[in-house]
Amino acid sequence: MMLFFQQWSGELLKLFARRRTYIGFGVFIALELLIFWLVQVKGMGPIQQAILGSGENVDHYFSALTVGMIVVSLSVFFLGALYLTLVAGDIVAKEGEDGHLRLLLARPVSRFRVLLLKYLTCTGYAFFLIQFLAWTAFLLGIILRGWGGGFCATVPELEILAFYDWGHGVQKYATAMAGLGVAMTSISSLAFFFSCFPIKPAAATITALSYVLVDFILRTSGFMESYQHLLITRHMGFWGRLLAETPDWPLLLRGLAVVLATNVSLFALGYAVFESRDLKS
Amino acid sequence: MALLEVKHLTKRWPTGRVALDDVSFEVKEGEILGLLGHNGAGKSTIMGITLGMVRPDQGEVRIGGRSVQKDRAGALRQIGAIYEAASFYDYLTGWQNLRVFCSLSGWWDETEVKRVVQLVNLTRAIHQKASTYSHGMRQRLALAQALLPEPRLLLLDEPTDGLDPEGIREFRELILHLRKHHGLTIMLNSHLLVEVEQMCDRCVIIKDGHKVFEGAVPSQEKTRRMFQLETTDLGLAREVMERAGARMDKHGIVEVPLSMEPHELVAALVRGGVPVTSWQPHRRTLEELYMGLSSKS
Repeated sequence: MMLFFQQWSGELLKLFARRRTYIGFGVFIALELLIFWLVQVKGMGPIQQAILGSGENVDHYFSALTVGMIVVSLSVFFLGALYLTLVAGDIVAKEGEDGHLRLLLARPVSRFRVLLLKYLTCTGYAFFLIQFLAWTAFLLGIILRGWGGGFCATVPELEILAFYDWGHGVQKYATAMAGLGVAMTSISSLAFFFSCFPIKPAAATITALSYVLVDFILRTSGFMESYQHLLITRHMGFWGRLLAETPDWPLLLRGLAVVLATNVSLFALGYAVFESRDLKS
Repeated sequence: MALLEVKHLTKRWPTGRVALDDVSFEVKEGEILGLLGHNGAGKSTIMGITLGMVRPDQGEVRIGGRSVQKDRAGALRQIGAIYEAASFYDYLTGWQNLRVFCSLSGWWDETEVKRVVQLVNLTRAIHQKASTYSHGMRQRLALAQALLPEPRLLLLDEPTDGLDPEGIREFRELILHLRKHHGLTIMLNSHLLVEVEQMCDRCVIIKDGHKVFEGAVPSQEKTRRMFQLETTDLGLAREVMERAGARMDKHGIVEVPLSMEPHELVAALVRGGVPVTSWQPHRRTLEELYMGLSSKS
């Protein structure tokens, strides 16, 4: 186990020593600030109306948590998939293209181990990035709206609108963000899978991103109404159910199980592709 | 005792081209073996199979008795390698690069790393980013990572490619130092005949995936007695040679049989009336051997 962590530390060193990793964090912070500015200047009419429509106090429920949730949802929607596919699409393909794999695999380590380290790094990164977004949004929300108030949880796609007090709200927010972090690992897994092929890193990123976009469009267009269960973005939405007062656990767990099974399958398929490759320029 | 055994390797690429056809040879403990061949001959494929990065269609490679194809980790624990162009993480320092590569071996010992860094003469630059390194420094860093942690066998794939003459000389001296003072066994893959001639004890020549020669590097040969004869009458000289039981080629290169001493042959030539203008030892070069093999096939 110590050996595994020692090996993983090398992989993490590579990821976090890259300037691009921090540029990504910076871009997300900039996007969050932009959304906050829009919230401050323009207000969030539909959310405020939804709170009013439910007969609740807007000032109380339009809190740091509510604003934080809106900002995270929009940030992930606009940039989440793009950035995660960029990182995961690079993780194997870029190493192959640059010739690093030839030095890495000259070591007494199996291809499975090398891939597992890389997979855990890119999915761990996806989870970490979402938590970073969630808690910086929450912090900015506190700066904007102050500490305390209620939490109006809204996930329009899942038709969830729930009201919580501050303590319960923080708990719900933390749980949902952890769920969102797990859900987004599927996007990283998809890009990782394509990255295992002998293709350019950009090709792996674009292919994964295209898949996610097409999947999302099919899901929202209603065209695939009877085939919704085949769309990964539908199952990824399980995290939203965590925001409900009484979560629909069977549906929620089914979504989580599909997400995890998809991740494992994509890793296994990626490994099969990688294992069959001859690594020679 | 053979440290590296290459047994009946055959590899065909998906395009149908034969990369290797039943190639076998051994590298004995403590020797430097040169793997020679033109570009695309199959040298790097042998290297790739030895490192488990390329799968052979037939045959296997054993390192210290362990099969790379069956127990890759066990076999590779005994070797260090520079395979094809060494590529580093430019945004990391030389030291961090070593850390990344060593982490995969589950090993890190700062004292030992510092010693190897000093050995390859990178101490002053080791904490600089790899992006600032010259080609020569990159090759030395590549050698440092191959030497960590303490391999028995070093595999070097075109290690002096792209280096300037000073860099080549420095690298050659380093390799010879490693063999002499650290007892390393080395397999060197190159298409530079001079490099192999100056560094290696034995060589294997690969041509279009076939092994066409395995033996001592000609400049290292001690048993053969070759001389260059210069005369104005080569025809008469050949007649006298044949009578004396010696052989001479059309360029006047004479192989003296073991049954007689060279001075006896010179005396026979003079007695036979051959106007000898010059008689000096001739050392067959690797280039002559290589070109001879190329022209044969």
